[in-house]
Amino acid sequence: MARADDNKNFLSSEDAVALRLRERLARFPWGLLLLLTLAACIGLTVLFSAVGRRNIGMLFSQTVRFGFSLVLMVILALANEKVYRRYAYLIYGLILLMLVAVAIMGDVGMGARRWLEIGFVRLQPSELMKAAIVLALARYFHDQSASPLRLRDVLIPLCLILAPLALIVHQPDLGTAVIVAVISGAVIFVAGLSWHAILATVIIVPASFPLLWNFLHDYQKRRIFTLFFPEDDPLGAGYHIIQSKIAVGSGGLTGKGFMGGSQSHLDFLPERHTDFIFSVLAEEWGFLGAVILIVIYGLITLRGITIAVMARDRFGLLLASGLLSLFLFQVIINIGMVIGLLPVVGIPLPLVSYGGSSMITVMLAMGLLAHVSIHSKQHGRAV
Amino acid sequence: MLEDDHELFRVDARRRLLLIGGLGGVLFSVLGIRLFHLQLLKGGEYRDLAENNRISLQPVPAPRGHIFDRNGSILVENRPDYRLAVIPELSGGLPKTLERLRAYIEITDKDIEGILKQARKQRSFLPVKIRSHLTWREVSRIEVRSHLFPGAIIQIQSRRHYPFGSLGAHVLGYLGEITETDKRDFTDTTFLGMEDAHLVKRDLNDVRFRSGDLVGKTGVERRFETVLRGQEGVRKMEVNALGRQVRELGHSSPMPGDDLYLTLDIDLQRDTEAALGEKLGAVVVMDPRTGEILAMVSRPAYDPNAFIRGFGPGQWRSLITNPGRPLTNKAIQGQYPPGSTFKMVVALAGLAEGKIGANDRVVCNGHIEREKVRFHCWKKSGHGSVDLVQAIAQSCDVYFYRLADKIGIDALERYARKFGFGELSGIRLVGERPGLMPSREWKRARQRAPWYPGETLITAIGQGYVMATPVQLASMVATIANGGILYQPAMVRPGNKSTAVVRRRIRIDPQHLALVKHGMEEVLNGSRGTARQAAPKGVRAAGKTGTSQVVRQKREESGKAIPSSDPRFQDHALFVCYAPVESPELAIAVIIEHGGHGSSAAAPVARDILERHFARKNAGLET
Repeated sequence: MARADDNKNFLSSEDAVALRLRERLARFPWGLLLLLTLAACIGLTVLFSAVGRRNIGMLFSQTVRFGFSLVLMVILALANEKVYRRYAYLIYGLILLMLVAVAIMGDVGMGARRWLEIGFVRLQPSELMKAAIVLALARYFHDQSASPLRLRDVLIPLCLILAPLALIVHQPDLGTAVIVAVISGAVIFVAGLSWHAILATVIIVPASFPLLWNFLHDYQKRRIFTLFFPEDDPLGAGYHIIQSKIAVGSGGLTGKGFMGGSQSHLDFLPERHTDFIFSVLAEEWGFLGAVILIVIYGLITLRGITIAVMARDRFGLLLASGLLSLFLFQVIINIGMVIGLLPVVGIPLPLVSYGGSSMITVMLAMGLLAHVSIHSKQHGRAV
Repeated sequence: MLEDDHELFRVDARRRLLLIGGLGGVLFSVLGIRLFHLQLLKGGEYRDLAENNRISLQPVPAPRGHIFDRNGSILVENRPDYRLAVIPELSGGLPKTLERLRAYIEITDKDIEGILKQARKQRSFLPVKIRSHLTWREVSRIEVRSHLFPGAIIQIQSRRHYPFGSLGAHVLGYLGEITETDKRDFTDTTFLGMEDAHLVKRDLNDVRFRSGDLVGKTGVERRFETVLRGQEGVRKMEVNALGRQVRELGHSSPMPGDDLYLTLDIDLQRDTEAALGEKLGAVVVMDPRTGEILAMVSRPAYDPNAFIRGFGPGQWRSLITNPGRPLTNKAIQGQYPPGSTFKMVVALAGLAEGKIGANDRVVCNGHIEREKVRFHCWKKSGHGSVDLVQAIAQSCDVYFYRLADKIGIDALERYARKFGFGELSGIRLVGERPGLMPSREWKRARQRAPWYPGETLITAIGQGYVMATPVQLASMVATIANGGILYQPAMVRPGNKSTAVVRRRIRIDPQHLALVKHGMEEVLNGSRGTARQAAPKGVRAAGKTGTSQVVRQKREESGKAIPSSDPRFQDHALFVCYAPVESPELAIAVIIEHGGHGSSAAAPVARDILERHFARKNAGLET
């Protein structure tokens, strides 16, 4: 407890003056917002091609969602300093409760319980947990700043991670579970996990795979299996991967042009507007289009790293690290699975895949990131 | 000091962030290299795959599971169905082909409009459905002249068939084209319910629903959709640039849906339908030892095959506008005042509460007065002095008025609820309704009025607010027959084995039960029993008549001009019974809408069912 108080003093001694709204707006990372908008615009264009004129309503609602989440991002970013640190555990606790509620009475879609109906809002608490777990871990390591962290220092954080993880795996939502695990790992890593402990993890985690294998659903096992041998099951689980690879590969250097993707338009490609939207982009815009989007993603990640480095305190630094990891790994896992490098686990492509929960989670994370940036140590030096 | 500590952390963290950034960079590069490999190095190869060898995957529908009765007689099966489709691209002008086809099969102008509309919506190399349910004659006529119809293909699909027609139609249900709501329902894992989830042997994630699919709309077909539904297979076809199928590259076979064994006994079902004839109403026959539904009939009925064949103009209209509501399963959805069939529950409540003894007698002179209102016994001249057994046997209203006065509505409601009144029985069919057991709170909430003592009196004879479904009445009489076990009415036999689910065990003093049962035996077998003319031959039964006077009120409201002979203003006739009395095997509830008296209209239906069933059973035992 004493340490937490010290930190408070340390912070207030440095800069006790709360920023005015105008200053906050001036310090807002507008470049980041521009990059996000660029990615979302590419996303909307590809989505238009993917869903076609007949489902123009989907394009409309996706645009509305982006506009809404943009506003949400700005609001979150402009919040008072320390408010997220103060309520980190509360937010985490609330969302954990929502996950429990989902397990007990959640709405079931396609054989999995993921949604919670509150009034007229349909929430997917597992999505929100991605941000909440980062908040909770950042708060924990802010308060407990042992360095380097040994395995016993991370026992409580592990509990913080495993509780929601178990609930998410139970839903079952393997994709989200993987993301939660990866970003939690990233936060612990940045918080200073000792290299010995990292080595131990690297040995223990793969060793525990056979054990975890038994907890997977049959269809999940099959999906992982066909990752390695997709051609073995061309009509079953390998189908997505093969069709997606054909779509991507046939795009060539410059693509077949807007609305010109034969592969993605002949209904060969399932879920082309959600998890597999990248293959529509790669088919129609070719290598150049795909690389442009990846570069934009890279720039957003890079901006996230500079924000983390410039963060005023440990909480801000860890929060930014976790959020940028969230973004980075969602991008990498989604694209990796679409082009046949990783198993198909159902992770949306940030800002581009169709869907409300995913869009809001990404922009919510970006809002928190911008918040850290606004309250950073040396403003103006950031890239 | 702290500043240093923080700086130290920052330096370390910065290093670690750079590592993450580096990892990100490496991974992005891996993605880029992979894209380079796929799109630039092997791009030509994939382009060939995409353009020249388009692979088309066609779903192969899976046959739906069959439905059997408890003895293995098939109730629902599949038959081949021939349908004609045309691939527009190959037809050399779809409208022309359609015109030519008209010479050989019946296609209306409206059909053509729909077909052309559908054809515009989809890719021109995909087949458009022209007509289903072709007869074999039509198929051969087209096949012989196939050169006249380029692009025409005959597809064979399986089609649901109900060999017994309307027999058991309300239990079996019917199929219809899937809607968005259906899709949501069926993909909801709670739709089937916990107790039946194990019947699904397939992974729900692999069960697909497509628009145009036929799915269960009601009855067993709907409730067990996920069980009956198979898992479609896929045919992988190589399609050339024109869209013509070049060859089959492989296929995965469809997995047929699982079969379902119902608790129904087709012979008993047939007997029951015959006994009811064309009278409006419903009958439920239950095994009081397990809660299994052996027969369930609702009238009027429909032929589920009609939903597969399709309706002619006006046929569908007449089905949905029929005032007899043929699409409603009255056995679980019809809510009726139980009338005097409710009196057993009142008697057991009175005995359990110690409000009345076996030998206590009440003098009935045809009516009693309460709050200046005169409550009549159905027998105007009165029953004289009656005890409990005779009160049930002769259905004396005055006896139950006095008893109700002593019990009060609160205890009465508590007892009735124990027997399942006012709550869903949990039968595994969709659309069950709960009936109504009124209470003080209910009346305050719903009618914004206090409970009047007089209302307790009419409740005790099953009138007023109390409403029950036939399945609830069958459950009630089964519970009396088996000595107090309220079963959940079972509809399926997983693995053709009985699985009785006890909803509740009601503690009933054996002496009390014996008294009530004695009364019910007297109804059929006593010299003054209300249904003595309806006593079945060959088996000793116990029962209770009921007449529910719902419409008398309406008749009075609407003035006196309506003659009491108008069938719409006749009372509902009810009868519940079980047999044989020594060891009950059947519990029956009969309701005839506007049938008049329970004794004359409903009891003979039960008698017919019992006589036919036990005659067949005894014949079977002798041979």
